[in-house]
Amino acid sequence: MIEKEDPIISEEEAAQYDRQIRLWGLDAQKRLRGSRVLLAGLGGLGAEVAKNLILAGVKGLTLLDHEQVSEDSCRAQFLVPVSAQGQNRARASLERAQNLNPMVEVHADPDRVEDKPDDFFLQFDATARFCSLKEALEVDWTSEKAKAALKRTPLDYFLLHVLLKFRTDKGRDPDPKSFTEDGQLLRQIRDDVLEALALSSDLLNDDFISYCFSEVSPVCAVVGGVLGQEVVKALSQRDAPHRNFFFFNGRKGSGVVDYFGPN
Amino acid sequence: MNPDYNVEFFRKFMLVMNALDNRAARNHVNRMCLAADIPLIESGTAGYLGQVTVIKKGMTECYECQPKPTQKTFPGCTIRNTPSEPIHCIVWAKYLFNQLFGEEDADQEVSPDTADPEAAWNPEETAARATASEKDGDIKRVSTKEWARSTGYDPVKLFNKLFKDDIMYLLTMDKLWKKRKAPAPLDWQQLENSVCSQQETPAAGLKDQKVLGVWGYCQMFQQSVETLRSQLQEKGEGAELVWDKDDPPAMDFVTAAANLRMHIFSMNMKSRFDVKSMAGNIIPAIATTNAVIAGLIVLEGLKILSGELESCRTIFLNKCPNLRKKLLVPCVLDPPSSNCYVCASKPEVTVKLNVHKTTVLCLQDRILKERFGMVAPDVQIEDGKGTILISSEEGETEANNSKFLSDFGIRNGSRLQSDDFLQDYTLLINVLHTEELERDVEFEVVGEAPDKAPPPQSNQEEVNSITNGNKDSAQPSTSSKAAADDDDIMIVDSEEEEVASSSSAAATAGSKRKHPDSETGETSTKRPRTDQSGAAADNDDDDIIALD
Repeated sequence: MIEKEDPIISEEEAAQYDRQIRLWGLDAQKRLRGSRVLLAGLGGLGAEVAKNLILAGVKGLTLLDHEQVSEDSCRAQFLVPVSAQGQNRARASLERAQNLNPMVEVHADPDRVEDKPDDFFLQFDATARFCSLKEALEVDWTSEKAKAALKRTPLDYFLLHVLLKFRTDKGRDPDPKSFTEDGQLLRQIRDDVLEALALSSDLLNDDFISYCFSEVSPVCAVVGGVLGQEVVKALSQRDAPHRNFFFFNGRKGSGVVDYFGPN
Repeated sequence: MNPDYNVEFFRKFMLVMNALDNRAARNHVNRMCLAADIPLIESGTAGYLGQVTVIKKGMTECYECQPKPTQKTFPGCTIRNTPSEPIHCIVWAKYLFNQLFGEEDADQEVSPDTADPEAAWNPEETAARATASEKDGDIKRVSTKEWARSTGYDPVKLFNKLFKDDIMYLLTMDKLWKKRKAPAPLDWQQLENSVCSQQETPAAGLKDQKVLGVWGYCQMFQQSVETLRSQLQEKGEGAELVWDKDDPPAMDFVTAAANLRMHIFSMNMKSRFDVKSMAGNIIPAIATTNAVIAGLIVLEGLKILSGELESCRTIFLNKCPNLRKKLLVPCVLDPPSSNCYVCASKPEVTVKLNVHKTTVLCLQDRILKERFGMVAPDVQIEDGKGTILISSEEGETEANNSKFLSDFGIRNGSRLQSDDFLQDYTLLINVLHTEELERDVEFEVVGEAPDKAPPPQSNQEEVNSITNGNKDSAQPSTSSKAAADDDDIMIVDSEEEEVASSSSAAATAGSKRKHPDSETGETSTKRPRTDQSGAAADNDDDDIIALD
């Protein structure tokens, strides 16, 4: 819950947050200042979002991640020092995260999100309601209306389906170390997914495979920036959120907002 | 612009990425990268908006191919006689700071302008007033600083001169007030006497965001004058202070002086927070916008380093998706402009000015340096003799500075060759002589529209909205709304930069002087080829072409 008492912005805070207060106003900053946020997953993208929220000046940020720091995760994740391999990712990110802004209470939690009791989540502020990810993915593509919409649907939406299926089946993301094997599986999944949606497999040609492996730091920065700003919007109760998916194509530089879900 | 960082230095790199905050530096790096023929990634952010673009000699537009709107300036008589907007009062207060504590500037007069054409009932009267003010043997001929010094920078004496005597003088210029609300002079003693009846409510909240009463600003004026006076004394003989928005007494001084003047001219006073935004040309900034643009900069950089220059794009970050649902809008890069005065093969430009009234110094500082971005120009007259007018070597042509161009035989049709060796840049200037330039305008670049003041109302809202944080710009970064905010602000000292503005208002007339540290950085004015109408102008093969 956003705290009932209006948080007071001190003179020190006003000086620090000056440039953003001049954009979104003092009231918005006060709401941020009263918000506690849970961030699950500290990969490259999570680190970017963490950084953005900490700089925005939320009251508290909990970094939740059960994974360990691997060699790859150092590449696109700038909060984790290279020397921290083998440590819990949330814990390893804590120091640099906290240093970004001592005014924010940053905590690290090494647990799995699935293991958390329901009331754990109550201490955090709610965000805007979205339809469930499941509903968004269960779109009927056979209708005429859907077929017409297909022309303007970002490819990335289907890519998302493929990647999610891979993750479900393999319990992990595609790994560069098993490039050939994973590549083959991805192609197979693509065929299955598109067939199940009654679409041609030409829709997503084989090139897509090269985009499925590993995080690239600038892409994390772009998506983390957009995502971070969505969280700020929700916490500050200012400006409408994007509805409801954002797709970024790093090769083309295009960023598209599209809606998937019940009408 | 350190000469150590010459073309050879730039040639050491495969790629240059800018993260600058002012136009002068961007112009300079643009020319260095053109000279060294290396790709340059330009970018900028302001609030929720941002953009990235790539500049490559011969392949794309350079940073200066499209004219960029110059900083908004106000006519002298508006500042000195008839302010109607808070910004006029803020500019006046900054001028006052310089007159009292800083470098005195003939173009930053604060006293009533007797030669204001609006004040005269007929043209002959204007001329008479102008001559009279020149011959005036009294106080008006003593510099403001000298006068202040003679009073020991006494705050009350300063107050009464600026906010009472000078206002009363303005009132005698009755024609000015026929259609305007006349200013109401303030009297220190009266204000002090009426204070006791007011309560001091120490309200909660941030100090800076409060709007005080008149007496509050009187006190702020007094205290800041005393502090600044001490600062001056400490620095010793001939010292000058430079205005800095982050120096509390300097900021207090401008806040107080501007607000007192606003009150006199029946405008609602503003909080220190708001005054600081306008006086300091503050561009709001947030981490997320910078994160997105930084990511895009690196992605363009990766394309360049992979030898894929053709895939580079200009990318605009919007606040809301456009009609084609795009939040990030990539656009194909434009080819170089064939008549660009920087990157064309033999750049040439025509400048309209009065050869009898334009000094060599004005040519060097206002035209070549300020307007055309040169750092150390060398100028020859194309008179068959190659007469050297300006040398970049210190002291060589200093004697020429106060002479007029006509003294060197320069007239209508003359051509001047200006070189900046550091930038490896040569510009040919065609002189077009004229006796008819607008008031306060020293020169005009032919082929571009003169600087026009937009209607006051809309400006005020946009300036206000930035500081109140209410601005909800759904426009892409090329929106003229985004530009207008910063154009409205008279930049005397800049802070950060602004993002692309629409190329519609190409204001390039060299109007009344801006300070050398008057900066505004912008990125390209390139408009996205993807227009809002969603027509097939989108030249990116981004959307899926459906199966059939």
